[in-house]
Amino acid sequence: MNQRTHTQNMIWHSIWNAVNTGLILIDAKSVVLLWNDWVSEHSGIDEKHAVGQSLETLFAESLGASFKTAMQNALAYKLPVVLSSALHRSPLPLYPLPCTRQKQQARIHQSITLTPIITPDGAHQCLIQITDTSVSFAREHLLKLHSRQLSIDATTDSLTGAYNRRYFDERFKAEFGRVHRQGTPLSLLMLDIDYFKDYNDFYGHPAGDRVLIRIVELIKSQLNRTTDVVTRYGGEEFAILLPDCELEGAYAVAQKIQSAMLELNIPHAKSNVTDRVTLSIGIATHSISSNCDANFLLNTADTALYTAKHDGRNCIRHLFTQSEMCKNAAYLIDIGL
Amino acid sequence: MISLSELHTDALCEIFNIGAGRAASSLSEIIGEEVQLSVPHVQLFPSSEIHAQTLPLDSARVGAVRQHFSGPFDAIAMLLFTEARALEIVRDMMGTHVSVAELAEFEQDAMCELGNIILNACLSAMGDLLGLSLQSTLPQYSVDAPEAILQKLIGEIDQPVMMALHIDLKIEKRQTQGCLVFLLSTSSLKEFLAHIDNFITGI
Repeated sequence: MNQRTHTQNMIWHSIWNAVNTGLILIDAKSVVLLWNDWVSEHSGIDEKHAVGQSLETLFAESLGASFKTAMQNALAYKLPVVLSSALHRSPLPLYPLPCTRQKQQARIHQSITLTPIITPDGAHQCLIQITDTSVSFAREHLLKLHSRQLSIDATTDSLTGAYNRRYFDERFKAEFGRVHRQGTPLSLLMLDIDYFKDYNDFYGHPAGDRVLIRIVELIKSQLNRTTDVVTRYGGEEFAILLPDCELEGAYAVAQKIQSAMLELNIPHAKSNVTDRVTLSIGIATHSISSNCDANFLLNTADTALYTAKHDGRNCIRHLFTQSEMCKNAAYLIDIGL
Repeated sequence: MISLSELHTDALCEIFNIGAGRAASSLSEIIGEEVQLSVPHVQLFPSSEIHAQTLPLDSARVGAVRQHFSGPFDAIAMLLFTEARALEIVRDMMGTHVSVAELAEFEQDAMCELGNIILNACLSAMGDLLGLSLQSTLPQYSVDAPEAILQKLIGEIDQPVMMALHIDLKIEKRQTQGCLVFLLSTSSLKEFLAHIDNFITGI
């Protein structure tokens, strides 16, 4: 070998080992021809030991079936193969540094490329490139957690954990649309804590906050369907969306909430209704037979709540949207309360 | 103008269905579920008819995995799925519940691998049955409007023709249609058909 070729080989060897990627060159029988420093460090097997051995022998039983298939395909058909870390995670027994080769050490996440190489004399070889994707894997995991947390924060009331007004507005529009697409009814409950301002003035705001939290817990415990939506609509006002729910169902839910409220037995010395914290509830039900718009349904529920307040509080009033009533005030149905 | 005879179409369907079978078994091995993959139709389009409307993909955005291959003839092989469907498949394969909006690097990698498996299986079947050796570049993944993807590729080929294969992919209960497209020059197509003719004569 002349001096120039020798120098060039030395340079290639240095570059090969300087690369921050795992590089393994194998022949058609998967015998290792080249093995760079990155692979030595992450596998705990040095180059001297690896060269001349087949990959199956070196990695023994820890070589996965899909890696073997990929390697055989790359060698047999001379087509490049990729193994994504999304579908394989860690096909090769390679470990974070310092590599201890102990069973409890977790493998690094890997993204692998197998590229066929044909030598000038026609021999088939395959270059295996391994990239450590552990960092991007962890980063992606973290980003997903953050994005999930942000979307929870953006739609939830931080004090009570109920959905917030922004979420209600979106969901209300969607559920209203569903009434006309699928023909199922939609009920909307508006709840207001009776004499809550007086409660806050007398017991203090921290006590008032605790009442709000307990009421949301109570409402959630009375709803059985995952499609029901509880939102904090305003300060002491809550809205509950009950998709695919007729008047009778909505009324039963309202009754359950009210009796659970009485059982909760939170003293309220300043209430003009009783000595406990109570709720006024207004219900509006909308069905496909009505051509009213979403705002009208919302106003109707509000009117029902106002009627409940007007009728002495701690009671339930129900209205439903009817086509002929859209232009006028909501139509009060006396349901015998 | 070159057209495909009924014999050509039958032979191509046979070759690609063998490829599809190989791809399905590789995919099953990775996912651990039964995967069914078949190629029911093959169609040839002249240069003037290469546009998105001729593809069986009704979507504003598609995911495309492409590999350029060379050998006795050169071609660009590309696998197309509607974006939302592609993500559903990948999600099934990954077994996690990420929403489509959360598409990131990893799903793209997985998509690239899925395309690579199907394309390689079809190319290797072609290699085996036609007795020829093909080289290929690594797969590249892109998401765009189907028209934009096609136009970009047509520019790279002299007198292009397009061979489009419908693909039915079934993983567990989910069924989806994709499209495998080969873009090749008229001269490469002639060469390709000559190999097909040899194959037909050899049967």
